[in-house]
Amino acid sequence: MAETLRRVLTRGCAVWSGEENTPAAGPPLLLLGTPGSGKTALLFAAALEAAGEGQGPVLFLTRRPLQSLPRGTGTTLDPMRLQKIRFQYPPSTRELFRLLCSAHEAPGPAPSLLLLDGLEEYLAEDPEPQEAAYLIALLLDTAAHFSHQLGPGRDCGLMVALQTQEEADSGDVLHLALLQRYFPAQCWLQPDAPGPGEHGLRACLEPGGLGPRTEWWVTFRSDGEMMIAPWPTQAGDPSSGKGSSSGGQP
Amino acid sequence: MAVVLPAVVEELLSEMAAAVQESARIPDEYLLSLKFLFGSSATQALDLVDRQSITLISSPSGRRVYQVLGSSGKTYTCLASCHYCSCPAFAFSVLRKSDSILCKHLLAVYLSQVMRTCQQLSVSDKQLTDILLMEKKQEA
Repeated sequence: MAETLRRVLTRGCAVWSGEENTPAAGPPLLLLGTPGSGKTALLFAAALEAAGEGQGPVLFLTRRPLQSLPRGTGTTLDPMRLQKIRFQYPPSTRELFRLLCSAHEAPGPAPSLLLLDGLEEYLAEDPEPQEAAYLIALLLDTAAHFSHQLGPGRDCGLMVALQTQEEADSGDVLHLALLQRYFPAQCWLQPDAPGPGEHGLRACLEPGGLGPRTEWWVTFRSDGEMMIAPWPTQAGDPSSGKGSSSGGQP
Repeated sequence: MAVVLPAVVEELLSEMAAAVQESARIPDEYLLSLKFLFGSSATQALDLVDRQSITLISSPSGRRVYQVLGSSGKTYTCLASCHYCSCPAFAFSVLRKSDSILCKHLLAVYLSQVMRTCQQLSVSDKQLTDILLMEKKQEA
């Protein structure tokens, strides 16, 4: 899944070189950020990205319907892509379990991407570590089953958003350690001091394994459109974020 | 699936699979490696394999889940796609304390795959859903 997000973030930049490689989903990805850090917008951008790759549908699980469709990264909301995103709203942890346990009974083509927004709400309802572990394992198992249905050479990606608190309590720390075990790739969204009137974030993608860490600068314009640029100083002082763009991606 | 065992375990298991195909038994040096990596769990897992305690349950959808009948008579559910077992040792030693890589049940699942000694059980898609859900109810 990390690869789909990388494509979303890279394509959003002017420096996108257009080197379209195979649309591999990459390892399961955990998207972490404080409230209002743009997790849903990025999940949705990933859904649109995966829906446009000529692959199967996208399954988007979230507790409640989105208030509004997040604006993309300069691309218009293509109805053909939107149609391929199937939203489901399990209202409780119990219903989420039921959905995942019966995923193999669902008719129609297997999704090429499984997204879950607001994992923290489901975990809060069932805070036992073993329950949490089973829920996370079922998410991975469901994606693995979809991959199996898609056939050789094609994988169903998995991307899960988890809200983190400014000050984590011990339960959160335990959950996070568990999640990091199952999700080798992570993307952290951190609010960063932006210019006046801007709402800016630093998106830091750790793709897992030996892959390089990459950072982007994500801002939301007043009309809600998401703007993405490479993080200005890849090697220099990370706090001097306003320097000229180096443009290069490692 | 991208969630993988440590490379050394993967390598050992695939070498063992090749050796078993050749000679229909696990050569002693691999047994020693198992013992080195997993300690007493290795012997217990091999014992579970010998007793044919591992069942691969699959449904027409292609989804699969393993059940392992533990030495205490309790049955545990293992998801081989992502290394998960419902036993208390997995929750404590693997997930919580991170002082082991696998529990004996999961190791038994992998060994039974290597030795091709799984019991096979075919169920309907609906029954497989119930088996997966039952796991949740047991824990609750």
